[in-house]
Amino acid sequence: MGNSSVIESVLDNLPVALFAKEVTDNFRFVVWNKKQEEVTTIPAERALGKNDYDLFSNESADYFRKVDQSVLRRGKATEVPEEIITTENQREVHLRTIKIPVHDQETGRILIVGISEDVSEQVQSRRQLDRLNRHLLRANEELQITQLQLIQAEKLESIGRLAAGVAHEVKNPLGLLLLGVDYLSQGILPDDPNLPTILQQMREAVGRADRIVRGLVDFSSQRALTREPTDLASVIEAVLLLAKHEIVRSNTTVELQIRDGLPLVFLDMSKFEQVLINLVINAIQAMESSESRHLTIHAWEEILSNVSRNEGARTRELFRSGDRVVILEIRDSGPGIAPSDANRLFDPFFTTKATGKGTGLGLSVARRIIELHSGTLSLKNRTDESGAVARIVLPTKIPTSRVSIRSVSVEALKEEASNSVDTKTKKLTS
Amino acid sequence: MAHKILLIDDEAGFTQLLKMNLERIGDYEVEMENDSLKALATIRRFQPDVILLDVVMPGLDGGDIQARLQDDSKLSSIPIVMLTALVDSTELSEGAVAQAGSQMILPKPVDLQLLLRVLGEILSKAEE
Repeated sequence: MGNSSVIESVLDNLPVALFAKEVTDNFRFVVWNKKQEEVTTIPAERALGKNDYDLFSNESADYFRKVDQSVLRRGKATEVPEEIITTENQREVHLRTIKIPVHDQETGRILIVGISEDVSEQVQSRRQLDRLNRHLLRANEELQITQLQLIQAEKLESIGRLAAGVAHEVKNPLGLLLLGVDYLSQGILPDDPNLPTILQQMREAVGRADRIVRGLVDFSSQRALTREPTDLASVIEAVLLLAKHEIVRSNTTVELQIRDGLPLVFLDMSKFEQVLINLVINAIQAMESSESRHLTIHAWEEILSNVSRNEGARTRELFRSGDRVVILEIRDSGPGIAPSDANRLFDPFFTTKATGKGTGLGLSVARRIIELHSGTLSLKNRTDESGAVARIVLPTKIPTSRVSIRSVSVEALKEEASNSVDTKTKKLTS
Repeated sequence: MAHKILLIDDEAGFTQLLKMNLERIGDYEVEMENDSLKALATIRRFQPDVILLDVVMPGLDGGDIQARLQDDSKLSSIPIVMLTALVDSTELSEGAVAQAGSQMILPKPVDLQLLLRVLGEILSKAEE
């Protein structure tokens, strides 16, 4: 067995595809091993003595030639991460190739030696993975939109709960207007000392009815999450106006402790109102059979000094020591939370209310809304006296887009999804 | 002598305009009390012939005040007209209104003519 035949059997038994082309002889192939035959489906006897232009499409050959020239210029082994060749049976094969320039000093021949590995399967699975990942991202976006819809559904429930109270609050100014009209219809005497008072009261009544109706409309509006720098005190004021009837009717006293000069917080006013309405109405209902009904709304700013273990996982994840936060607490004087309920409070559909009095979505949706604000909501028993305390911690810095929800409908998303899948499939089959 | 009417309602504007209307139309002496917690003291001092009483109020509500009046032998005979926005006006028939007594309920917004008729009936009954 001569040397060349030894080399030949060595090459043919390599588990990688190997070829060599002679640059100085018009890039003709001089080596083409068994594995290279397999990968390209071109037998050695057809490849040897031919160049890329004889074997592949002009387009592919141009590309190979460009790579070869670049390898020659650099003068060292170069990896081509992905080369695509189309085999005789029209199959696309993805190759990872290392091309090595070889200069034989003795003869002056210049060769390019290539070692290729068929990476078609890896490429396929990577594409599949990309596709799955895109689907996952889209599913996540859809989930966020569904959550917004759930938030809206829960809001409609709150509106139902508030409606009677709001109607009552509108009836009062209407009644006042009617009394004014009754008075004026008896004749208007220019020197009647009551006139200024009556007109003033009527004007105020219109303003009052307008405010409450506007408040309800603002609250009901469905929007994607839109956060703006907001004054917490004004949100609390709007909430107390909407819930005024429930507060008066239940004979609850409300104490406001809003620290002056609170920094603006980055809020979706309507959704945040929804949370506060929920917590306030919950507190009022919890105090129904209590002797004293006292609600304290306390808001202050704090620099977190020690985000300790007992703050809970969510707080530890969102906040760090040194973060400037606004804390809002709503404390009631009810019986507090039963130990058996403590772990289930935020579970969807968990409710301690009678059937028909609540779906049990309120707190889970409230927590979700606060999370969309990069904040935390917790509910515990008070340590100072009987009652529960709901605590909201909100960041004061404007967040980098931790949550971004585009205002698109689910339908639009679905359409977009099916379109992009179609184009991908086309690319792969073409 | 003018009949004495006491308006107990936390809505100051409402009591003010109702007082002006009543005093303009009839021979009434009207007083207002907007703080439900002071209502009983005002009733004792003013000794009204009839009380117009709001139902939903902070502090004591209309029901609480009525119950306390009933427990007080000196005050239990004072006729009361409850005013409330909680009742739909269509639920109150003319017949129900004609049943004058100490437990009248009139819907808000108040129909002034209806209220005057009810007051007239209550006061004439009291004088019998």
